[in-house]
Amino acid sequence: MSEHLGDDAELYPLGLLDDDVAREVERHIAGCELCAERVSAGRTVAASLASALPAVEPSTALHVRLREAVRPGTRAARPPASWNAWGFALAAVFALAFLALGWKALALRGQLAADDLALVTVVHSHFNHVSMTPQSANPVAAKILYARDGSWLYVIADKPGGTLRALAHTAEGPVDLGVLATSGRTAGLLVRPAARVESLVLERAGITVASATLVYGAATTSVPNRK
Amino acid sequence: MNQPAPYAAREVDPLVEDFAARRPAGLETAYGLWSRLFVSIAHHALGDRARAEDCVHDALLRVWRAPNRFEGNRAMLKAYLAASVRNEALAILRSQGRRDARELRAARLVPETSVDPPVVDPVEAERLRAALARLPEEQRIALELAYYGNKTHVQISEQLGAPLGTVKSRIAMAIRKLHAELAVSGEARA
Repeated sequence: MSEHLGDDAELYPLGLLDDDVAREVERHIAGCELCAERVSAGRTVAASLASALPAVEPSTALHVRLREAVRPGTRAARPPASWNAWGFALAAVFALAFLALGWKALALRGQLAADDLALVTVVHSHFNHVSMTPQSANPVAAKILYARDGSWLYVIADKPGGTLRALAHTAEGPVDLGVLATSGRTAGLLVRPAARVESLVLERAGITVASATLVYGAATTSVPNRK
Repeated sequence: MNQPAPYAAREVDPLVEDFAARRPAGLETAYGLWSRLFVSIAHHALGDRARAEDCVHDALLRVWRAPNRFEGNRAMLKAYLAASVRNEALAILRSQGRRDARELRAARLVPETSVDPPVVDPVEAERLRAALARLPEEQRIALELAYYGNKTHVQISEQLGAPLGTVKSRIAMAIRKLHAELAVSGEARA
C-alpha cells in the first residue's frame, strides 16, 4: 500500500461511504494493519453510539430463526416413524370437533369405527388445548392441542392465508417446529418435541400472527374424560 | 483457592474462538449478549420491528457465512457485528428510497433528547453522553446527524452549509476523539 487511508477510515464504520469507496477501503485494510486498526476503532465508537439508542427487545422468533439457520443439519423434532401420524392427526381433528360441538356430539362415537374410537379415547383423555392469541393486523385463528406431559402437540389453524411456520420456546431453548401442512382451508402440524414446549408462535412471511403459552398439568381447559 | 481464571482474563476468549471457527455456540453466545443492541440499531434506522429483525437475521448470517474469518477480541467482535447490522439497515434504506422519511424521525432520537425511553446500555450511554459533551460542537453535531440522523455526509454538508470535506473531517475527528475517551474502559465492558 502506497498511502494510508484518510478520513474514510473513520467514515467507513458509520456506513457513510458510497459503495465503490467502501469497497476500496475494504481492499486497503485487507493489507494494511494500521488502517485496519483505525477502522476497528471506528466500529468500536459506532457500537458505543448505539448504546444510547432506544432499546428494542428482540423477539423469540428471531432467536429461533438464527439458531436453526446455523444448524442446517438438525431438523425440528418430529414424531417417530412408529407413530401413526396421520391417524393421530385425525384423532386430534376429532377431538377438536368434540370441543366445538360439545360432549353431546359423543353420540357420534357409535358411528365411528372401533380403531378411530380408540384413537379418540387416547387423545381426549391426556391432552390440554389452548386458543392462540391473534397477533398483527392480519392474524390467524389457531388452536394447540398438547399432551399434558409435553410429549406431543398438534397445531391447527383456520384459513392460514399463506405458509405458517411454528416457532417454540422449550425448556432447552428455542426450536423451529416447522411449517404447517395446508389441507383445504385449514393447516396443521403434529410435533413430538424433544423438550416440553413452553410457548409457541405462528409466523407468516416473518410476521407473528398468533401466539400462545402452554400450561401443563390438569388444566381447566383439558377435555373432560367422561363416560 | 483453586478458582478458574476470570472469563475475560483468559488468553483465548471462547466466544471469539467459537465465532471465528463458525461453531453455532459462537453465534448463540453473541446473540445472547448483543441481540438487543443489534435489533435496536436496525430498528432505529428502519423504524419497524419486523424489518429490523429481518435485517439483523440477514446481517448476522452474512457475517457468519463470510469466507473471511474474524480476527480480534470480544469488543472488536461486538463492534464488527454492530457495524454489519447498521450497514445492512442503511443498505435497505437506500434500496427502498425511504431514507428521507426515516431521517426526520430518527433525527429526533439523538441521545440528548431520548432520556425517557430505556436505552440499550444505560451505563455505556452515560459514558457516551459525557464524551460527546466534550467534543467541539461542530464535530458533535456532524457526528450526531450522521449516526442518529442516518444522514449522508453530502446531506449533512447541505444542512450545515459547510463544505463536504469539512464535514467529513469533523466526523472523522469526532470519531478519533471519542475512541480516545472511550477506549480505556470500553474493552472491559464488552
